[in-house]
This record gives sequence, C-alpha cells and structure tokens, in this order.
Amino acid sequence: METAAPQPNPVIEQPLSPWQLFWRRLKRRRIALAGGVILIGLYAVSLFAGFIAPYRYDRIDDRSFFHPPTPPRWQGFHLVMPRYEKGPGTFNYRAVLDDTKPVHFFVRGDKYKLFGLLPASIHLFGTGDPNYPVYLLGADQFGRDEFSRLLYGSQISLSIGVVGILLSFSMGMIMGGISGYFSGRTDMVIMRLCELIMSIPALYLIISLRAAFPPGMSSAKVYAMIVVILSFIGWASMARVIRGMALSFREQQFVLAARALGQTHLKIIVRHILPNTFSYVIVAATLSVPYYILGEVVLSFLGVGIQEPSASWGNMLTAAQNIEYLRNYPWLLAPGAAIFVTVLAFNFLGDGLRDAADAKSN
Amino acid sequence: MLKFVLKRLLHMIPLLLGVSLLTFLLMSLAPGDYFTTLLQNPQISPDTVARLKAQFHLDQPWYVQYFYWFKSVLHGDFGYSMAYKIPATSLIFARLWNTFLLSFVAMIMAWAVAVPLGIWAAVKKDSWIDRACSLIAFVGLSVPDVLLSLLALWFAAATRWFPVGGAQSPYYDLLTPMQQFWDRVHYLILPALVLAASSLAGIMRQMRSNLLDTLRAEYVTAARARGLGEGWVIWKHALRNAINPLLTIFGYSLASLLSGAFIVENIMAWPGLGRLTMEAFFAKDSYLVVDSVVMATALLVMGNFIADLLLAWSDPRIRLK
Amino acid sequence: MALLEINNLKMDFGKGADAARALDGLSLTIGAGETVCLVGESGCGKTVTALSIARLVPAPPAHYVGGEILLNGRNTLTMSARELQAIRGGVVSYVFQDPGASLNPVFRIGNQIKEALKPHRPARATDAEMIRLLKLVGISAPESRLKNYPFELSGGMQQRVMIAMALASEPRLLVADEPTTALDVTIQAQILDLLRDLKQRLGMAILLITHNLGIVGDMADRVAVMYAGQIVELSPAKELLRRPLHPYTQALMNSVPKLRGDVQRLSAIPGNVPRIGKFPPGCRFAPRCPVARPECSDKLPELIEVELGRWVRCPFWK
Repeated sequence: METAAPQPNPVIEQPLSPWQLFWRRLKRRRIALAGGVILIGLYAVSLFAGFIAPYRYDRIDDRSFFHPPTPPRWQGFHLVMPRYEKGPGTFNYRAVLDDTKPVHFFVRGDKYKLFGLLPASIHLFGTGDPNYPVYLLGADQFGRDEFSRLLYGSQISLSIGVVGILLSFSMGMIMGGISGYFSGRTDMVIMRLCELIMSIPALYLIISLRAAFPPGMSSAKVYAMIVVILSFIGWASMARVIRGMALSFREQQFVLAARALGQTHLKIIVRHILPNTFSYVIVAATLSVPYYILGEVVLSFLGVGIQEPSASWGNMLTAAQNIEYLRNYPWLLAPGAAIFVTVLAFNFLGDGLRDAADAKSN
Repeated sequence: MLKFVLKRLLHMIPLLLGVSLLTFLLMSLAPGDYFTTLLQNPQISPDTVARLKAQFHLDQPWYVQYFYWFKSVLHGDFGYSMAYKIPATSLIFARLWNTFLLSFVAMIMAWAVAVPLGIWAAVKKDSWIDRACSLIAFVGLSVPDVLLSLLALWFAAATRWFPVGGAQSPYYDLLTPMQQFWDRVHYLILPALVLAASSLAGIMRQMRSNLLDTLRAEYVTAARARGLGEGWVIWKHALRNAINPLLTIFGYSLASLLSGAFIVENIMAWPGLGRLTMEAFFAKDSYLVVDSVVMATALLVMGNFIADLLLAWSDPRIRLK
Repeated sequence: MALLEINNLKMDFGKGADAARALDGLSLTIGAGETVCLVGESGCGKTVTALSIARLVPAPPAHYVGGEILLNGRNTLTMSARELQAIRGGVVSYVFQDPGASLNPVFRIGNQIKEALKPHRPARATDAEMIRLLKLVGISAPESRLKNYPFELSGGMQQRVMIAMALASEPRLLVADEPTTALDVTIQAQILDLLRDLKQRLGMAILLITHNLGIVGDMADRVAVMYAGQIVELSPAKELLRRPLHPYTQALMNSVPKLRGDVQRLSAIPGNVPRIGKFPPGCRFAPRCPVARPECSDKLPELIEVELGRWVRCPFWK
C-alpha cells in the first residue's frame, strides 16, 4: 500500500449564488452605478426638501415676479447675497453690489414640517432677510422661489413613480399570476381586459379616467387619483408578462410538488410562482418608474393633476407654456431639466440591472 | 391569408365596442355635464336647459345614452358637439386626419434616421459610433416630450423660422394650391420633428439589438462559411431577419407615438385628436370625448393590424402556417 | 503535403488583461481523403478549432496569438478577406449542428443553394445543378423542394440540404460539426451513412466533430481527443477504441453505453470541463482524473508519441 493515497478532487471553483453573480456583473457597469448614486441623492434631497429649500413652496413675494437667478457671490471668504433693485422696464432686476448680506447656514426662516411631521423653521442656508433674497434658480410669475418649489415638487414627482409602481406591479403580478395559474375562463376575462386597456392610447385613456373624478379635489386626493389612474393602465402590460411566466412555471416540478402537498392556490401563486418572476419584475419596475413620473408631469402640466399652489414638476412647467415667459425667463424650464436627470438616472440603472440579470451578457 | 385578415378585422369590433362602453361609463361618472354651467346663466331658463338636455339624452342613464350614441354611429353620425355647436363627425375626421398626418410624418422621419443609425451601431459594435449612438439613445429616451415640445416652441419663437402653433396660416384659403402645400409643410415640420425625436431613440436601440442578435445567428456563420462577402451576409441574411422583430416593435411603438402626439398637439397647438380631447374634456362635451378616444383607439388598432400584415408578408413562417 | 496542417495554434478570447486562452498549442493534420474525428465534451474547444480553419470565429473577441493553419499549404491566419471567401466553400465546407438554425428561415431552399454555388462556380448556378445536388444527398422530389422554405422540411431533410450546399463546389475538406446531435436517432444513422457514402464517391476529407465516441468507430480513420483547448490523445481510430491510453479518453469511453457484453455501470465523469481562461495548473484533467497523482498539478505534460502513430498527453499512460 502506498502512502500517497489518491487525493480527493480539489474543489476548483466555489459556485456563486445568483445574487452574488448579479451583483458582480452590476458592479462592472459604472454607468448603472452612477445612475443609482444620482437617484439616491435625488431621493435624499427630496426627503429633506423643507430643510434644504430656503423658502416655502407657496411663499409669494410681490417684489420678485420673474426674478432672475441670483447666485451668491464671494466677498473675501464669505458668501454674500447682493440686494436687487428694480430697473426700468418690466421685471428688470439689477444687483446692487455694494449692499450685501452674508449667506448663513442653518438660518431661521419659513415654518415647515420635516418629513411632513416635525414642525421646524431651520433652513440649510439663507440670508435671513427678505430684502436680500436667495433665488438660486430665479423666481416664477408669482415671485415664488423656483428652487424651493423644485424641491417641494420633487416630493410629489419622485414619490409618485415609486408608489405607482408598487401599486400597479403588485396588481399586475397578482392578476397575471392568477390568470396564468388558473387559465381557462378566468384567464380569458383578465387577458381581454388587459387587451382593452392596452389598445387605447395611454394619454387618451388617462384623460377619460380623469373625467370620472371631480375637479377641485385636495392635493392629497389628486395625488391618490393620479396613482390610481396610472396604475389602472400600468398593471395590464405587467400582468401579461407575468401570466406567460406563470403558465410555464405551472407545469414545473416545484409547483406540482406544492400542489401534491395540498397547498392552497393562493399560497402556490404567492409562494412558488411569483418569486420566480422577481428578477424580471425588478428590472421592469426600474425601467417603468419614468413612465409614472412622466404621467404625473403630463397630467399636472395639462392642468388636470396637482393644482396650484402645490408644486409638482409638471404644474411648474405649465408657466413655460406661455411663449413670452419662455423667451424671457428661461429658468422656468428648470423642472424640465430635473425630470430629464431623474429619468436618465432611472434608465441608466435599469439598463444596467437588465444586463446584469441577463446571464447571457456575461 | 384572407382568413387571417378577416379574423383580425372581426376581432376589432368587440374591442372598439368595449372601448366606447368604457369611455361612456367613465364620462357618465363625471360630475355635471355641459349644461351644468348653462344653469348659472340667468338669461337661459331652467326649462330651456332641461329641454336641451333631453334633446341630447343627457337626462337618461348612461346605458341609454350609449344606446342612442351607438345607433347613430352605425349610421355614420358621431353625434353633435355641444361646445362647438356643429356635428361632431366632420370635426372628428378633420382632427383625426391631422393626428394621422403628424404621426405618420414623424414616424417616417424617425425610422429613416433610426434604422440606418441602429444598423451602423450594430455593425460597428463597440466603436466610437456605437457609443455615440447609445449615448444619443439614452438622452433621447430620457428627454420628456413635454420639455422637448417646450424647447421647440422656444426655438420657433426665438428664430421665427417656424410658426408657433397651428396647422395652417390664417390666410390659407387665399393661397394657390402650391402655396397651400408649402404652408402646411411649414406648419407641420416642427411638431413632426419633435415627435420623431421622441420616438427615435427606442427604434434605434431596437434595430441595433435585433441586428446584433441575427449577426450571432448560426445561419449567418453558415452564410459566411459558404464564402459570401461580409457586406452581402449582413445585407441579405442578417438585416432581412432583423426586420421581423422590428415590425413587431412598429406595432408597439404606435401606442407611444399617439401618446407623444397627444402631448405635442397640446403644447404646440396642433389641431389633432389629442387637443380636441382636452378641449372637449374641459368643456364637458362628453360625446366628443368618447368620439375622440374611440377614434384614437381605432387609429392604433388599425396601425397594429397593418403591422401584423407587414409581419406576415415579411416572415414566411407566419404567412404559411 | 497534408491537406490541412494546424501547427501549435494559440487563440485567446479577448485581449490584454481580459484575454482567456481557448486553444493552447493545438496541432492536427488531415491528409487528403482522410476522415478524422475530433472528440471531447462540450466546451473543450472542438467547435472553435473547426471554425478557425476558415477563420469563422468572430474576431474580436477571437484573437490568434500564435501558430498557423495551413490549408493546401497556405496559412489561413494571414489571408485577406477576399482570399478567405475563396477558400470558404471552395476548399473547406461546413455542416453545422442545428440545420434548423443554419438555414436562413426567410429564404427559399433554392435561393440558398444558389448562393452556395455562385461564389465559386457561377456558371453552374442553375436549377439543374441544384436538383443534381439534392438528388446526390438523397432528397426525393428535389424540383419542388427548391421552392420550399426551411421550416417546411423535417430536421433530417434540412441537414441533407445543408450537406448539399456544403458539397456544391466540391470542397477538398468537409467539416461536420456534430451534424447529427440535433436529429432523431433514426435520422442520425441515415445522415452518417450519407456522409460515408459521399466521402467514398467524392473522395474528400472529413473532419467530424462529435462528443459521441459511439459513432467514431464507423466513421473515422484517426481520432483526436480534445480537452480544455488541447489535444490529449491522437491515435488511429481502431486502436484507440480497443485500447484508450489517456485517462480522459478512458473516462469518455466508460460513459458510452455498450450494447454488447456485460452491462456495466455507466460512469459519467465527475466535475465539469474547466471554463476558458480558468484552466487549472499542470495537467488540465488532473482535478477530475481518477488516477491523478500529486505531481500532475505541477507541470503541463507534453503530447508524446508512445507508439507508432499514437500520441498521448499523459506521462502515466501505461
């Protein structure tokens, strides 16, 4: 007998779990990570909008109609804001450079509620003096600070995408799961409904749905209404894809095994079928958020969504529809740029997620 | 083939019925109607309003209204616009034509640019041109139609090269036919460009990934192994197969095209169905809203039908099976 | 001069830091009229070797870093695109694994056969010639087949069409990459019979790629066994089947069910073929080898001729 017994075969490579593989592939896509970082930043800013915004969204200053953007200036080592005086002509503002006030951090100003709960009046920055206003992005036709409104508007525009996705995708997954799992008549009815919804051009359907709600609702109700309308349309395409997946999973061993164990239909759909669709759903959700954001923008822009004086990126853009405003006060397009950056970030992230979830791409 | 066409055409009927029923139901849920505002006018007696309401069947439940509406549609009559005070039929078809014109021209523009660019990017995969196209695509996918339309409006106002809104000059009727044609082109160009730009990115990306897929296909390797030139392999074998999924995309892209047109029409004052829908919505001109939605849906369904026909014509596997 | 002579071929996928070696010092010759089988599990580099002969591996990512492929004495690695087109179909033709995928679905059969004739023999790109080819590969009613689309034919018929196209310009070498894997068992035998019959009639050489040792005995003059981008055993077919020398070959043979003799336990080889770029140090088969010794992982063994015409890449072949 030799001492060198045959060695056990060494393990060459530890197989990675699907999530580890997914994360490894995602890490290699810098642009997707950049999109993710931008989104985290945007959502963080929107969470603290009241604190970061120097003013309240509805603070009207009748001396500042169409005030141009006022970048703070350096004076020695201090940031200062000059006083502005009205020049000749309409809405012509001139900085008085020798009359300035320093910009302070954590200044006391308009009252607001942090996270919508905690009453507060400390703002990240400001001069603390209404005669020396800080309009980083200028002011609108009512003399309201565009930057502050942009931040408050982001709370509506950014959250509506996520809330809308959550509602429509859970609805789509459940309906799709039911449709694919039970098939037969249930399937037929649900799929015909999806087909009906998808065959109406989206905006026409949105407006018809809007007609069913009364005008002049409160902001919170309008918000809920927009979510409901957009989700009513959005669930259909999701349901169709999930149905296809459910149909194929239905015949597989693990579902048959669960059925043999006598589990209820609901449990089988929720526990066994839907989890297998998650990687698709996450990618699709990321890529669909922009549609909900844009849906709110269009509705509010057309004047049937979020109403003044509440700020949303859509209703802020309404002012830019006036050609005279648009030509003379281009800073009114700032919300458009904000929408662009947000949607771009979602597309970057979603594209990276899709590539990373697609094993073929490795 | 004929059976396929007939089947698809018959399939449209219940769909359009469903759409009209749904919109009718939604409009009936809306509080108030066109005549609610008239009631506040002291010069019009409540009796007159009641008589008018009865004339338009607005005093009836919604399904009765639907029945009357449906009956007249069968006779080619789309009802009466209460706000415009003219028969809806002529209004609807004029607006439908405008929307069709805008969408069609925009689609031609978008495809004419997107398809060659997508092919170029796929053939030169990972080159600088591919990267540039992919960047353009990302930007294009992310610019909201609303912003793009506003920028176009600003551009028109700043340069005065294009009219800011409308579909024709006020003095259109005084022009010679040739001048009329150019007048319409002049008004159409900017909205069509905006709409084309908004759908370009998606088509380009789709074309690129389709062609990359077919370039990887075994029949392409097999064609190369036969000693065929690379240009011929791409042109005949890869491209010809990349077109089929693109035709499917064509069907899908129509829906977003019509939604894009809705926005462009409303911002750039193009008198199409989308603008009409909004006007009718605000005026509570309920029959007109229903008409517009049904017409827009019919346009989309017809477009999808044409896409299916093209697909069957292009792909023998569908045509012969 | 051999018809095909591959000398010390080295190919990477990717360049620089991402480079992963797919073929590592591969040498193989095929004489005129000879049939050579290339055997091995999937993923060991058989297809890449075959496609390399006419440089059909897309480059990039493929990147040839060394060696040569002499076809009729001319190196295909240095050929221009035009020269390559002339040899593809002209000197070397291919039949691929999945005939359904190798035929373009949207063109008629006739259209595609004509395409195979045109580049090399434009004068004979006629219906008569196409019908002759289809008859040659045993397709009945060839006239009407020309008008068919690929999906209207069965898998076996499709593969016959592919073979007809490969024969269109009378190549000296036919490369058949697992030509029967995608077909039904009964059709498999027919296609192999057809290949053998055609070879006898037309006198061309065949490089047959397979992962199935069972068909080697019927077809091959010589066999090359590949593992992880290298040839590990090269031998006349009959001797290899009678007495495989390399442990990998032995393992492959044990995984073939035997119809005659004792019913043995069918043993699959434990583990997987190492992925490209992840080859283990030393002998690449060592981690899966039932008779590996500790020193096997130290040094990559050479391919040595141990008997006349029998080459083995294992110092412990005895």
